Amino acid sequence: MTDWAHLIDLEKCTVSPRVFVDEEVYRDEQERVFGRCWLYLVHESQLPNPGDFVTHYMGEESVLVCRTASGKIRVFLNSCRHRGTRMCRLDAGNAKAFTCPYHGWTYDNQGRLIGIPQFKEAYYEELNREDWGLIEVPRVESFRGLVFACFDENAQSLDAYLGDMKWYLDLIFNKTKGGMVALPGLHRWNLGGNWKLAAEQFNGDNYHTGAAHESMLKIGLGPANGQFLGDQPWVRDFEAKLDNGHGWINFKIDMAGGVPTPLAQHMERMQSTARQRMTRAQSELVGCVHVGNVFPNFSILTFLGFLTIRVWHPRGPHNMEVYSWGMIEQEAPPEVVEIARKMQILTFSPSGIFEQDDGEMWGNSVKALRGMHRRNFPLNYQMGAGHGRTDPDKPGLIHPPSTEIGIFGVYEQWQALMGGA
Amino acid sequence: MMNAADRIRLRHEFEELLYHEAWLLDNDKLEEWLELFTDTLRYWAPVRGNLEPGREDLSRPHLLAHFDDDKTSLTLRVKRLRTGAAHAEEPRSRIRHFVSNVQILETDGPARVKVGSNFQVFRSRWEGTEHLFVGCREDWWRRIDNTWRNEERFILLDHNVLENMTVFF
Ligand code: FES
Ligand SMILES: [Fe+2]
Repeated sequence: MTDWAHLIDLEKCTVSPRVFVDEEVYRDEQERVFGRCWLYLVHESQLPNPGDFVTHYMGEESVLVCRTASGKIRVFLNSCRHRGTRMCRLDAGNAKAFTCPYHGWTYDNQGRLIGIPQFKEAYYEELNREDWGLIEVPRVESFRGLVFACFDENAQSLDAYLGDMKWYLDLIFNKTKGGMVALPGLHRWNLGGNWKLAAEQFNGDNYHTGAAHESMLKIGLGPANGQFLGDQPWVRDFEAKLDNGHGWINFKIDMAGGVPTPLAQHMERMQSTARQRMTRAQSELVGCVHVGNVFPNFSILTFLGFLTIRVWHPRGPHNMEVYSWGMIEQEAPPEVVEIARKMQILTFSPSGIFEQDDGEMWGNSVKALRGMHRRNFPLNYQMGAGHGRTDPDKPGLIHPPSTEIGIFGVYEQWQALMGGA
Repeated sequence: MMNAADRIRLRHEFEELLYHEAWLLDNDKLEEWLELFTDTLRYWAPVRGNLEPGREDLSRPHLLAHFDDDKTSLTLRVKRLRTGAAHAEEPRSRIRHFVSNVQILETDGPARVKVGSNFQVFRSRWEGTEHLFVGCREDWWRRIDNTWRNEERFILLDHNVLENMTVFF
């Protein structure tokens, strides 16, 4: 395989456009990034019962995620061993076994081949079924109900992989006893743009809000002071660069129009619960706007009571398919769930009045970067370089918004995986 | 019960109304379009899925949706398009609505009617990025001061994987 390390310039903090538009780079990325990193699949609350399954993707691989009778979650390639046909064609359901639609091989939800039509007459009972079970994804681990899987048998544990990101994820997933639960339904949509453009924005691009989301400020659905920055730089309003390419944006804003009373009360309750469950430094941050990305392509965003979690599935260098769920605290009363759900749909969904504009940018980037001449000129990731600090109260390299310290961390990690022959 | 002639007359009336509505949308008369709706509006488009027959339960509580607007939030969407900074619609897409299969589904007295229709919406952006949105609508219209006004629009999009949605249905 090719050594792509030269596409990232660590000293100058620049990135070659080829990282986003080159077919060859993309092909190697499937193996070296998506084949080695922990990839998010599903939240445990979406598979509550034995036999529950969902189909999903890891990179471009179609996978089947099953809750087995013992309660364990196992992940298989959603492809029959006989001719490779896509086995399960549903998004979700409950089943003990899956029968291939082509010739009828049947597998149980532990991946074992348990049925072969005409086994006696056609195969003379000579086929060893044990050798032909579904291909299993070797590693499946979870953190606070978030289930990840990894194709690399020898990968470090999910716990180690997430590292300091866990401290930040806890601000959302560990602030109450019941944790977060998923709302029913899934937003799925196609977008132009390389998956990394979306991932890096959630990792640490607070800089774009003023321009890309200018329309929101103009209609008064933004911060009262007109800036998505907050007023406690370093303390409450900051971005954090974390190990392994993860990143976090944290800030608190007062919304111009205020927030509905039940939601405000709910958020206050969450904060006081959090104070009893976590360190002071952590609980001070609960209730802020949080945006983050777990390398490579799992993002979270909380805003106005809702949490959207999403995966940017790569679909060639120039396109992605977005999967986005809605989540909320298990303790939230139905009235609050409805406010949060509607707010998520209005702001961050395929029709979302914030989301639409982000979607426009990523497609336009790859369109403009694709030209043979344009790709010779690197992209600038220098904002704030060298000005980050560590903080005894919170992990990571900290800098107030805006900075590209964290975003460039995505490409440092990418380089570590894509370099070398 | 209505007799056949009344029914045809009513359907014809709504065909005209729905064509007019499509014309408003295609010609960027969105403020006028908003006037078709009552202040108690629910404008709702639940998400779909690839599920076993009978499992796609659109009445599940808290189900995600592509739209779940009231009059205020729908108005906000229109206002945003007027800021000159709604980048996903700058410059505006070329949009065409096709409405068909208009049906009177239910009546509730002389002043409330449930009307079904199918739609195709074509959107062309930039040099040639083109999308087609297909689905059906079920509307409750109420006659207020001699004008039909829409108080509930249910939109069923026949897509599982969608696109950035900047259009109205
Ligand atoms: S491809 Fe599955 S049984 Fe033949
Ligand atoms: Fe954004």
